[in-house]
Amino acid sequence: MAEVRYEAASRIYPGSEIPAVNKLDLDISNGELLVLVGPSGSGKSTALRMLAGLETVNEGSIHINDVDVTLKPPQDRDIAMVFQNYALYPSMTVGENMGFALKQAKVPKEERAAQVREAARILDLEPYLDRKPKNLSGGQRQRVAMGRAIVRSPQVFLMDEPLSNLDAKLRVQTRTELADLQARLGTTMVYVTHDQVEAMTMGHRVAVLKDGILQQVASPRELYRRPKNRFVAGFIGSPAMNLLDVDRTDGQFRIAGTTIELTDEMKAAASAVEGTTFGVGVRPEHLKFTSDGSGMAGEVVVVEALGSESFLHVKVQHEGRDELLVVHEAGDTDFGRGDNVTIAVTGPVHVFAPDGDSV
Amino acid sequence: MYVRPELVSSSQLTIVKGGIVMSNAVADSGQKSHADEVKRLERREGWKRRLPILPALIFTIVVTQIPFLFTLFYSLTDWRLDKPEPREFIGVENYGSLPGDKFFRDAAWISVQMTVMAVLLSLIVGTLLAILLDRKFFGQGFVRTLLITPFLVMPVVAGFMWKTQMFGATFGILNWILNLFGFESIEFATKYPLASVVVVLVWQWSPFMMLIVLAGLQGQDTSVLEAARVDGATSFGIFRQITFPQLRPFLELGTLLGAIYLIQVYDHIEVIVGGQPGAKNLPFYIAQRSIGGGNRFGLASSYSIIVVIASIIIANIGLRVLSGLLEDDS
Ligand SMILES: Nc1ncnc2c1ncn2[C@@H]1O[C@H](COP(=O)(O)OP(=O)(O)O)[C@@H](O)[C@H]1O
Ligand SMILES: [Mg+2]
Repeated sequence: MAEVRYEAASRIYPGSEIPAVNKLDLDISNGELLVLVGPSGSGKSTALRMLAGLETVNEGSIHINDVDVTLKPPQDRDIAMVFQNYALYPSMTVGENMGFALKQAKVPKEERAAQVREAARILDLEPYLDRKPKNLSGGQRQRVAMGRAIVRSPQVFLMDEPLSNLDAKLRVQTRTELADLQARLGTTMVYVTHDQVEAMTMGHRVAVLKDGILQQVASPRELYRRPKNRFVAGFIGSPAMNLLDVDRTDGQFRIAGTTIELTDEMKAAASAVEGTTFGVGVRPEHLKFTSDGSGMAGEVVVVEALGSESFLHVKVQHEGRDELLVVHEAGDTDFGRGDNVTIAVTGPVHVFAPDGDSV
Repeated sequence: MYVRPELVSSSQLTIVKGGIVMSNAVADSGQKSHADEVKRLERREGWKRRLPILPALIFTIVVTQIPFLFTLFYSLTDWRLDKPEPREFIGVENYGSLPGDKFFRDAAWISVQMTVMAVLLSLIVGTLLAILLDRKFFGQGFVRTLLITPFLVMPVVAGFMWKTQMFGATFGILNWILNLFGFESIEFATKYPLASVVVVLVWQWSPFMMLIVLAGLQGQDTSVLEAARVDGATSFGIFRQITFPQLRPFLELGTLLGAIYLIQVYDHIEVIVGGQPGAKNLPFYIAQRSIGGGNRFGLASSYSIIVVIASIIIANIGLRVLSGLLEDDS
């Protein structure tokens, strides 16, 4: 059980000018499952490894339970980590792998065996305790890595893309099991992934990183509804939000010639911002085809039929260039490729200032 | 290029292969002759692959197997220089005399001691050097090259260098150091012949072991080592529990290759201790007994056969252990 706090923590790799993690401020509360998400190279692993003690913290500090651990080696932090490639000890059996940390802590043999058996029971690994990692399937290896972490009952679980080497179906299943396990154990967890679906489904809160800089940290719902900037808006959500560059003319925003209605609040906020080229975003489910010919005119170019729902890509003429809008429709939509359609906005619109911040 | 016959009108069928155009007369008769043609081409292909190896194969047989057969034959005769003809066939008599030959037993025992000590010590020194070299530091490449050089020195040169510049009583560095601390000079090569030879062998073979162990260390998955650190293991604990088991196949390989070579050491002994007793291993004794003045070629041949057989046994045991380990880990 623990709280974790990053205070303006930076990591600058030797030989590099730009920090891989830049002045990260993050408060993680006791028992929380916090997901660090961002594109590849955004500094997620680095941030996690700083907490583990595997990377030097060049500036700032890191605290676990109000204890400054910035300079402590990994073994003094009481954390458990699951690596992307699992990093199982190849020469040891599953049981020895899971009991390794306890052995280092000089826990008596019987007690160790009992704890390993208990973890193996939770993870359905009992039949495999005497096998070597190389004789296990990918999913079993992943569970051994999990088992190695939970046997220790650590203060914090650190997970670096622990599901990315599983096939799609197993990944979805394991992600639910993992979130469930974390809830049952009540142990604070920091979970790294590049997959925003994983982040949204698992995280109590999600922290979005880009180029080593924290963009926003909020609950999945909040992130989805009120992205703080254009990057978060585009990154969270699948399929992604429709985001277009729009020139403000006469205080109005027009997509494909159609004026976008804004709330009075947003109008006021937008008018306070200088500049001409804004970002305007609408999620696919907030676009709808109209039957009366009103709205943005375009042509369906791609139909993604997923069964229960469909996403239609519509080419529109916007400020003299071709743009694609993705429209969410029912699974049994009558629209098809080549159809000429008109689109209306039915839900909230996001407006981003020229510098990318939400207005 | 392979031309499917059904795509070409059969009367014009030609097969172009390796730049040679052959008109194909038999293709007219259809399916069966097509199969024959494929077979013929495959045979041709086979010879094309085998032919270049043939000279090397013949050479290998001539220079290794034939001398061995001759040696085997000589070992069954009483051939000696002072009685060149007739060479009489005496069966296994030479071998029968071996267990009773005190000089042979001494030489065999020296061989065992020398090989075991040299292999073990160079393995230990090599491993320690490899561990030091495995961490990143400025000038790593340069230091590695420096450390490898002893392995590249010719054995005879290494022997002379140590004999005069290191062990020597007048110019030797070791004695200079001893004198510095007020001790008397020691004639190392005379007083400790076996140890002296072993020291030079270790000096030459540690770099070899270092390279092998270094390959093992650098093949390690760094995240496994990190996982062990997070799991609370000390540096020594990580080496003992994680690194060492993974290094085992590499240590076995080093032992095997080192033993095969070191069991046959001759040059170092010749240069450092010469004919003095105390460091004569089997190869040296064999040479002494034959070309070195003993001139008992038949008897010496039987010694060689023993050494070869011992080497083959060691190599086989070693290889079996090694492949077992490799299988275990793949
Ligand atoms: N050991 C390292 N040395 C130098 N640069 C590194 C090292 N590890 C990562 N980086 C750099 O730091 C940035 C963040 O990397 P990382 O934390 O691994 O990103 P992520 O896990 O989000 O994909 C990247 O630009 C990467 O190239
Ligand atoms: Mg990463």
